[in-house]
Amino acid sequence: MLFNSYIFIFIFLPITFVIHYLIGKHEKHGHTLSHSWLILASLFFYGYWNFSYLSIIISSIIINFLITHYLISKPHAKIKKPLFLLGLSFNLGLLGYFKYKNFFMENMNLLLNSDFHFTHVLLPLGISFFTLQQIAYLVDVYEGLVKKTPFHKYALFVCFFPQLIAGPIVHYKEVMPQFDDDKNHRFNIKNINLGIFVFILGLAKKVLLADTFAIWANAGFNHTDTFHFFQAWGTSLSYTMQLYFDFSGYSDMAIGLGLLFNIKLPKNFDSPFLARNIIDFWTKWHITLSQFITTYIFTPLLKAMPKFTFTNSMISIFITMCIAGLWHGAAWTFVLYGALHGVIIIINHIMKKRKIKLPKFWAIFITFQFINIVFTIFRAEKLETAFNIFKGMFGLTYFKIPKGLISEELILKSGAIIGPHMNNDQNLNLIFIIVSLYIVFKLKNSMQLMQEFKPQTKTALFMSFIFVLCLFGLNRVSDFIYFNF
Amino acid sequence: MTTEEIFNQVSLILKNTFDNNEIDLNHETSANDIDEWDSLSHIELISNIESHFKVRFALGELQDLKNIGEMVELIKTKI
Repeated sequence: MLFNSYIFIFIFLPITFVIHYLIGKHEKHGHTLSHSWLILASLFFYGYWNFSYLSIIISSIIINFLITHYLISKPHAKIKKPLFLLGLSFNLGLLGYFKYKNFFMENMNLLLNSDFHFTHVLLPLGISFFTLQQIAYLVDVYEGLVKKTPFHKYALFVCFFPQLIAGPIVHYKEVMPQFDDDKNHRFNIKNINLGIFVFILGLAKKVLLADTFAIWANAGFNHTDTFHFFQAWGTSLSYTMQLYFDFSGYSDMAIGLGLLFNIKLPKNFDSPFLARNIIDFWTKWHITLSQFITTYIFTPLLKAMPKFTFTNSMISIFITMCIAGLWHGAAWTFVLYGALHGVIIIINHIMKKRKIKLPKFWAIFITFQFINIVFTIFRAEKLETAFNIFKGMFGLTYFKIPKGLISEELILKSGAIIGPHMNNDQNLNLIFIIVSLYIVFKLKNSMQLMQEFKPQTKTALFMSFIFVLCLFGLNRVSDFIYFNF
Repeated sequence: MTTEEIFNQVSLILKNTFDNNEIDLNHETSANDIDEWDSLSHIELISNIESHFKVRFALGELQDLKNIGEMVELIKTKI
């Protein structure tokens, strides 16, 4: 079920919400019933897409629970390490089978020039997210950080519907104490106001901005011919904006929904386009994934190196970023996406070491250009498409400047071609890009707005207006980009 | 070891790791306040602290160590 659908907003959410607080009011001891209700609702939410996915998530939860439960109860068991490795292999195996089998088989066939037939597996939604969360839990259990946890609390930690499909990736330390807190099971009008506010902000980002940009981005990326300058920039910027509003909108909605149940989910975005370098970018973009990757991939990798040297750190960074790229999906464009990030992070570290600092404006400008380029690779199904767009962006094809923008004489003098006037659609695209650049570079982000939030009539009226606008947009139901990862 | 002693030793290690004696530290200082303190230098800092105090941190504790106060408290429970 999508957050941006009528059935979610008008049926699923109100029912889950009301029953949750009714149970909270009447349950005297513990929270078993209340947790069970949220688990049931979350599984329904998940199974609504495809009933057969349910068996995958349920078995993943049960197997992980059994292993971790044993490890917690018998911390000195002889089979501690083998059991831990078994758990790890189970999770990686699940991810490997559903995410990378197709990719692996296709490349095998290509490499060996063979023609093995294999059945394509469908990617179960959110598998990358709920598997990562469980791997982190497993590692922490192995290292003795986790106390005994009842099954219902563990299951809810994994499948709580606001964060189940596309994050924020939560650490059990952040949410489990909140599930236990008695006061979180009671109606809290302050959190509910705030939750509705952030949910609508996210919904607007998704429905009004991301889905609109998607039309231009999709048209651009489906275009197979050469791109000229304006068209290439329009396409790449449209996708960059689409991806940002789509994913940060989803995260806002998740955070808002969490608050409706008095659960504070971690922030996932912090004005990433204001980053001054790529190291900085990863502390602002998909924050919870960066933290997971740093903690559970980069650190053990670096520690496994014979010595802590700058070169070894850089090698670890490069490998980590390639893995991070591949996590997004099984395709060579994703590996290239990760590898490019790796290279730039290494350059950033070298600059840092030599204390080279760019002026703020140029630092932000160059970082944004790099992001725009790698996002284009990220979106392109074939590298060829990305390179076609780059050729256009950097004037390697030809300049075609629409009539009416600058004087025709100047266009001809500079060797460019005079194109037709911009049509309405192109005008609208340009306006949307300018407005979005203003939003991402100049306005406060939703987490800042949340901190300053005060329930006032004018805010309520304004948000209701936005909400109604969004409702009209729900007709064009669309998936979230990050559902595919 | 008292909290203050640990704090002083941590400060010294931090200044040495980041190669910067000008850093102004207190119990509330966190990674966000110090330019040099990124995820890479964090690991260097942690391994220096580990070998100095002869302690070991779990991976899941790394994020909690991005604040001096919490770091000092955690070291205290381990030595």
